[in-house]
Amino acid sequence: MKNLRLRERSWTIGITILFLILGFWRSQQLPKFGGYEIKTIILGVVPIALLAMGQSLIVIGGGINLAIGAEALLINCLTAKFMNGTSFIHSLLIAILGLLASVAVGVLTGWIIGASGIADIVVTLATSFIIVGIAMVIFPIPGGGTNAHFAQLITGGGNSFLLPLLAIALPYLLIWAPLYRSRTGIAIFAIGSNKDAAFLSGVDVKTTRIKLYAIGGLFAGFSGIALTCVTKSGSAIITISNAATLNSVAASVLGGIALSGGVGGLFGPVLASVVIYFIPTIMLGYGIDPAYSQIIQGTLTISVVLVGGWLRLRAKRSK
Amino acid sequence: MAHLKIDNVAKSYGSVVALKSANLEVIPGEIHALLGANGAGKSTLMKILTGVTTLDAGSISLNDLPISFSSPDEARKNGVAPVFQDPALIPDISLRRNLKLTSTDEKKFVSHLQAMGLTVDLSTITGLIELPVLRMIDLARALSHDPEILILDEITAALPIDLAEKVIAIMEKHKANGKSVIFISHRLAEVESICDRATVLRDGIDVDTFATDEGSEERIVTSMLGTKSMPIINPKSELGIGSEQIFLEVENLTQGQMLTGVSFTVKKGEVLGLAALEGQGQDLLFEILAGERKPDGGSIKVNGEPVKFKHPRDAIARAIGYVPGDRKTALLPQRSIHENLAVTTFRKIRSWGKINSTSESELVSNAIDSLQIDTRAASQVRQLSGGNQQKVTIGRWVTTGFDLLLCFDPTRGIDVGTKAQIYALMREFADQGHSVLLFTSELREIPLVCDRAIIIYEGKIQGELPIEKCDEATLLNAVHGLPGLPGLDVA
Repeated sequence: MKNLRLRERSWTIGITILFLILGFWRSQQLPKFGGYEIKTIILGVVPIALLAMGQSLIVIGGGINLAIGAEALLINCLTAKFMNGTSFIHSLLIAILGLLASVAVGVLTGWIIGASGIADIVVTLATSFIIVGIAMVIFPIPGGGTNAHFAQLITGGGNSFLLPLLAIALPYLLIWAPLYRSRTGIAIFAIGSNKDAAFLSGVDVKTTRIKLYAIGGLFAGFSGIALTCVTKSGSAIITISNAATLNSVAASVLGGIALSGGVGGLFGPVLASVVIYFIPTIMLGYGIDPAYSQIIQGTLTISVVLVGGWLRLRAKRSK
Repeated sequence: MAHLKIDNVAKSYGSVVALKSANLEVIPGEIHALLGANGAGKSTLMKILTGVTTLDAGSISLNDLPISFSSPDEARKNGVAPVFQDPALIPDISLRRNLKLTSTDEKKFVSHLQAMGLTVDLSTITGLIELPVLRMIDLARALSHDPEILILDEITAALPIDLAEKVIAIMEKHKANGKSVIFISHRLAEVESICDRATVLRDGIDVDTFATDEGSEERIVTSMLGTKSMPIINPKSELGIGSEQIFLEVENLTQGQMLTGVSFTVKKGEVLGLAALEGQGQDLLFEILAGERKPDGGSIKVNGEPVKFKHPRDAIARAIGYVPGDRKTALLPQRSIHENLAVTTFRKIRSWGKINSTSESELVSNAIDSLQIDTRAASQVRQLSGGNQQKVTIGRWVTTGFDLLLCFDPTRGIDVGTKAQIYALMREFADQGHSVLLFTSELREIPLVCDRAIIIYEGKIQGELPIEKCDEATLLNAVHGLPGLPGLDVA
């Protein structure tokens, strides 16, 4: 009777194994593998992992946000512009304002979807253009920066990878874990699983969707700020946001989130985003053309989903 | 004193009037039946009462206080708890999280469930639980909110008899506590035996309210149908027993543990009834015959020729049509009646390129006429009532042509008038030399339309009954697997 849960668990185990294999591979590739190298890897992963969490949450709630990369990009540009050459406190305040802005964008997106009745994919495709456009207007030339001490909140000092790891772990533990147990969290799963049954169970579908996109926006905001801290700059380039969005969807799917909604957790997508980071890095380590890593990433995504689908079918048969 | 009073309630969806002026009074401590043909407005009235939708005009009061709920949650908190035909439980999350979502007390829920003789692991993913149990769970959840008014919409329709009896016991208990139940059902015998009073809706108006007693079945039918009064079931035409030619021969069909050594034949020109409790393997049998599933063993012969179906189209090529139990799986909900009727004929009309709409139109309009499909909502079949949707799934095979029609519980949740039409149609098919294999969960309908009946119990053919012996009591015993019945020819 618990096959569905078993499937979820076996999926997480699968992605963990993949993560370990690639991690080991990468560690063998490097001449030296220590705290600094781990820190480099985690810092490369932080923005995409945070974005993957936001996207996964939205997909669990039955939506999809094609503007999530654009949201992160906007916050990256805003913070890089206004944090440049400021004090720690000032940068921190800008960061909070940035988070509020990305939550506001999420609220607006969720509201538009509910009020218009237009599909999530269409609304967010449109908002992605608008948001990138705004970012380009505000920040036409790449550059900017942040307070060095503020950046260290995420990048940490020396060879310790504790702070970068916390940049992923804290949002997971402080947002996702309590959310999962809350009534709002259950309502998010409910509207993703079956909107009619959710409504009959007393869920306010529209409000829940707004909350869903707001929390997704919060993760996108974190991702944008992390990007600013890691790269010490901002750049309003649409290919960056598009690639980030697609990677967030790929990480959700690889991480065991059903695109049909209602199923999954955020642990798998976080590991999957590391996997997505590893593939081109390892390829590059061998001097292989990055184009091939794209092909491999795509092939891997399809293979994993195929295996997952096969497992699900087997679970159904044996029911 | 009225417990619940619904006064002149009206509701329209666009130009479609669902309720004109409906009245309903429920007194404390009664089981009140709400009856009506499909599309009479029962569902709309219950949706308004439970806060799913709002009314256009009229008023509702509970214990003399006016009420108007804006959400199902609000209705539940104010003592109105519904159990719908489709359980309102979220499939992908555990039962425990479902309870939490509706702020249901776990302990109360479990004790209600135990009183029903059921034990369920609360960490089970809800979607993996079987539908009958899910309904009981939904009921237990509703009871945990101590409702003043319990609304049960067709709850017994898909329940095995033992569970249905438990539901009835629960209703009686609820009533004994001075609370009330609104009971919606198409099973008139059930209504007569359980309910104290009944209100009949027709075309959005309450046409009759009366105390149920012996013989009220006729009164119900008359008021449900209004002037279009007709017998419950069309009297059987001359039976097509004359033919002894066999169309379908099934031998030793086996599918895991669910079907073992099933053998039977379907003759040309007969309606063969299949009687069984829920989940005795009949669903698998139908899926195998329709080519949806490959059996583990056994053989099927059509017109004496052995066949192996790998895909539903193989069965269709042998002129076997399938009317599945779940209408939703058969229909294209957003497409028109016309397209839904024609979809299986596309092969015949033209496989590639443009569909020749003249020849298609002819076939389709013939089918609409012969089935008397209500075409007012012709543009999207999802807007049709259940009965009309069922006619479309059958009509599809009328347009295609068939030799054997597999009908899986085609009259579930359908009003008597439409039922009669569907059964008359089956007799007509048989008289034309076609065959019908009919599984119905309503045993007493078997003698009304079938030529003979086979009984399946725990995946085995329990026996065969000639139609003269197919009275409800005999069938009831047979489907429960009670051995040594007089007149049961063991196959």
